[in-house]
Amino acid sequence: MVMRDNGAMTAAPLPALDNQVVVTPQHAAEVPWRTVVWNDPVNLMSYVSWVFRRHFGLDEATAEQRMLQVHNDGRAILAEGNREQMERHVEAMHEYGLWASVERVER
Amino acid sequence: MRGFQPHDGGYQAVFEPYEAKILISLGEQLQQLLADGLGGNPAADEALHRVIPNAYRDDEEAAREWRELSRRGLIERKSAFAATMTTGLRAIADGDGPAPLSVTEGEAIDWMRAIGDLRLILADRLGILVDGDEGADDPPEAGDLYRWLAWIQDDLVRALDGGR
Repeated sequence: MVMRDNGAMTAAPLPALDNQVVVTPQHAAEVPWRTVVWNDPVNLMSYVSWVFRRHFGLDEATAEQRMLQVHNDGRAILAEGNREQMERHVEAMHEYGLWASVERVER
Repeated sequence: MRGFQPHDGGYQAVFEPYEAKILISLGEQLQQLLADGLGGNPAADEALHRVIPNAYRDDEEAAREWRELSRRGLIERKSAFAATMTTGLRAIADGDGPAPLSVTEGEAIDWMRAIGDLRLILADRLGILVDGDEGADDPPEAGDLYRWLAWIQDDLVRALDGGR
């Protein structure tokens, strides 16, 4: 991701956040899947953070933390649940131009 | 151009006719590329790989199935996002001075998405592959367009966030 020239990221330490993701209820027997968003060199940090708030309903601090995770680690998990739900998230991310994919959660 | 401001329950920006013409031209090129991609043109397909990425990175079979099910709808929606942008700008492009453009929140989001897709395609042409790449600036206008579109997208994020 990239910053706008004058859009400096806040340097303040982020509050400690657990690894919460948007979890969709499912039957115990269902194999869980996850929605992963990957880093790309094009989308603006401000935009990615906004998309995470808008689509996943994350609060500002969590959205910012996920965005930085994508930026620094190359990927972040945004949701877990059944496959159909994860495909819907991925399709929405693709509508926003973000690189997202569906993955089976390894057990 | 003057950036987007809250206006009448939506947002309003001011564009020069030449700016409107550039954005219409880019939006139409994007729609053409999407249409060619839908038509199975391999060159368009290649150009669209950043705009319509693989949904299953570690499962070729699932990736193919997903493509068959979702690709058409995704392309059609992306084309509609570009159409929101170009349609709104026509009157300004045909006028003889800067003029305001009003959009609803939904239209503003369509704008963000269309501009994001244009940046993904321009980045490909400029050779921007990893964080920090500046692009080859070849042709030079492409680099300028890329940065201008970033400015507009960032401006839309700011406006939708209530002007923070």
